[in-house]
Amino acid sequence: MDILSADSLVKRFDDFTAVDGVSFSVAEGETFGLLGPNGAGKTTSISMVCGLLEPDGGSVTVAGEKISTSSTNGRDAIGLVPQDLAIYPDLTAEENLSFFGRLYGMNGSGLEGRVAEVLDVIGLTDRKDDQTKEYSGGMKRRLNIGIGLLHSPQLLILDEPTVGVDPQSRNAILEAVEALSQQGMGVIYTTHYMEEAERLCDRVAIIDEGTIKAAGTRRELVAMVGQKDRVVVTGGGNLADAASALRTVQGVSEVSASDSHLSVLATDASSILPELLATITGSGGTISGVEVSEPNLEAVFLHVTGKELRD
Amino acid sequence: MSAATLIAGKDLRLRVRDRSFFIIGILAPVVLAYIFNLIFGSAATGTGLGLEYGLVDADRSEISEAFGLVLEGAESEDVLTLDRYDNRNDAEAAIEDGTIDAYFFIPEGFGDAATSNQSSTIQIVGDIDSPTSTGIAESFAQQFASGIASGQLAVGTSAVLAQQPVTPEFIASLSQDPAAASASFTLSDESAATKQLDATTYFAAGMAVFFLFFTVQFGVSGLLEEEREGTLARLMAAPIARPSVIVGKGLLSFLLGVVSMGVLIVATTFLMEANWGAPLGVAILVVAGVLSAVGIMGLVAAFAKTPEGAGNLGSIIAVILGMLGGTFFPVGASGGVLSALTFLTPHAWFLRGLAELADGAPWTEALPATGAILVFAVVTSAIAWVALRRRLVA
Repeated sequence: MDILSADSLVKRFDDFTAVDGVSFSVAEGETFGLLGPNGAGKTTSISMVCGLLEPDGGSVTVAGEKISTSSTNGRDAIGLVPQDLAIYPDLTAEENLSFFGRLYGMNGSGLEGRVAEVLDVIGLTDRKDDQTKEYSGGMKRRLNIGIGLLHSPQLLILDEPTVGVDPQSRNAILEAVEALSQQGMGVIYTTHYMEEAERLCDRVAIIDEGTIKAAGTRRELVAMVGQKDRVVVTGGGNLADAASALRTVQGVSEVSASDSHLSVLATDASSILPELLATITGSGGTISGVEVSEPNLEAVFLHVTGKELRD
Repeated sequence: MSAATLIAGKDLRLRVRDRSFFIIGILAPVVLAYIFNLIFGSAATGTGLGLEYGLVDADRSEISEAFGLVLEGAESEDVLTLDRYDNRNDAEAAIEDGTIDAYFFIPEGFGDAATSNQSSTIQIVGDIDSPTSTGIAESFAQQFASGIASGQLAVGTSAVLAQQPVTPEFIASLSQDPAAASASFTLSDESAATKQLDATTYFAAGMAVFFLFFTVQFGVSGLLEEEREGTLARLMAAPIARPSVIVGKGLLSFLLGVVSMGVLIVATTFLMEANWGAPLGVAILVVAGVLSAVGIMGLVAAFAKTPEGAGNLGSIIAVILGMLGGTFFPVGASGGVLSALTFLTPHAWFLRGLAELADGAPWTEALPATGAILVFAVVTSAIAWVALRRRLVA
């Protein structure tokens, strides 16, 4: 069931059209990635989704409620984690969480319990009474996410949450997002980091110049541009016969052999890998190592936009 | 608890925590009012300035005696102290040993010269180390001489009108028939315009209303800080009505303003013996004054682009309005255009309202000034409200 439906969103700033006909949906428990370079329209799109900007065209529905800047309907179903830190530096982590919790109608022991829970999730329980201006960048980022999670939203929107974050905190954030998705929360994750989108997102929309250029699962996107997986087998024995045998396996499109390597191009290599290895050994070859590389979204992005993602 | 109250409560915690409110809202105005009162309060009342004068009356006429009476009158009001000396040598010796700062010498024939429309002079001899006291002594003498000159002009005019020479007999006849001398006139308006606060209360009230504009700025300019810090997006994404954010900021401004004014009133009453007047009258003036400050500073926040910009613009406006409104000096007393302009500020109306309450007047005396201040509050708040709402939607 879709928790979010964004239909034909349009947003103009004077003569500049920042978002032009963007549509997407997010189901419960799904992590949906908006992948695009800076200025592509990601933040403008999610600003309309969470009611910060009024669309010039199109509509947004979250948890069955139409989202508008003039109404609070549906807002409590959304948790926003803005790209820039949105915390009060002179308040403690606990005070920050409590304040925003009250704005979402939480109070009493329910609020206290939830604040403690979130502090635990983001690993700040020991520092909950310190003013956040004393925190490291990574700790602030985690609190920034914690505030978005506090009211247990059905849809969590994370706008480039790992920008400027150290590798350790970045990994912690990604793990937290994976856990939330597994708990059934719908997640919109905007990023210009390819590897994050590939790791986290069930589906990805590639957005550029205000329009969605392509959308689907990673495999669908890859298939869309004709990219195939590559399997490199290191070994010995009769690799020439093994190469001939591999060409008969369904899904294999190209095989090349050298003295110690076999290189195989195939569709969905992971699923046919056991068959590939069995064919090699059955044809007199020996195997000392296997490496599977799947085509990444970088190639897809280049294909659909004509430019590198980090342009 | 409403969203606006939550936001105001959160901001109050921040302001208390960073101590800025205590410094700008309470400490600075109390200290400045105290210092101003020490410096200018003495000048306004004369007490404590240590004006010590001598008088040598070599004339001993009715007119020279009149001057002596003027000085003694000032002495009875604690404006100065006066010692009489028989001759100039004694008076100069008193200056030498520091007993007096200056002395007035009225030469023999002074009275006769004055009554016969001839030139007459009061000489001032002052200590070279007391130029201020000597200058003030010159002012006393000048004022008295001006009175004589006016009398001489009146006598001369009467003589011309009566086509008679100015003789002692003619002057005597005028004194028997004052109406024939000239059309005498005096201003005897004792209405509110002439009511004045005592110096202590004036400076306490002036500093209070001057710093009020800086104090309320903490609240409304907080909106710009939220915008810069990114927390405004979070507030607007929450399930609360957007105007709640503006109301919350305004609420904090109002609260800080009222607390600041309240603490100042109590502090200056007990520490400086300021006399603010009827509590209810003071209360409505304070509420109206705070509302007008919130409106004006809200307007600044609506059109400024950054918190720093709002701070700078707000400070400029606060200083201009404060100066024009007479919080440092009684600008309105100078008359003319400046006197009219001063009432384009809520400060002037606030001080005027307090003056109305002086001398035990009932609280209702403050109503006209309160009404005028509320006009500022309503107009500026309405414009600020519209502009801030547009800003939040944009």
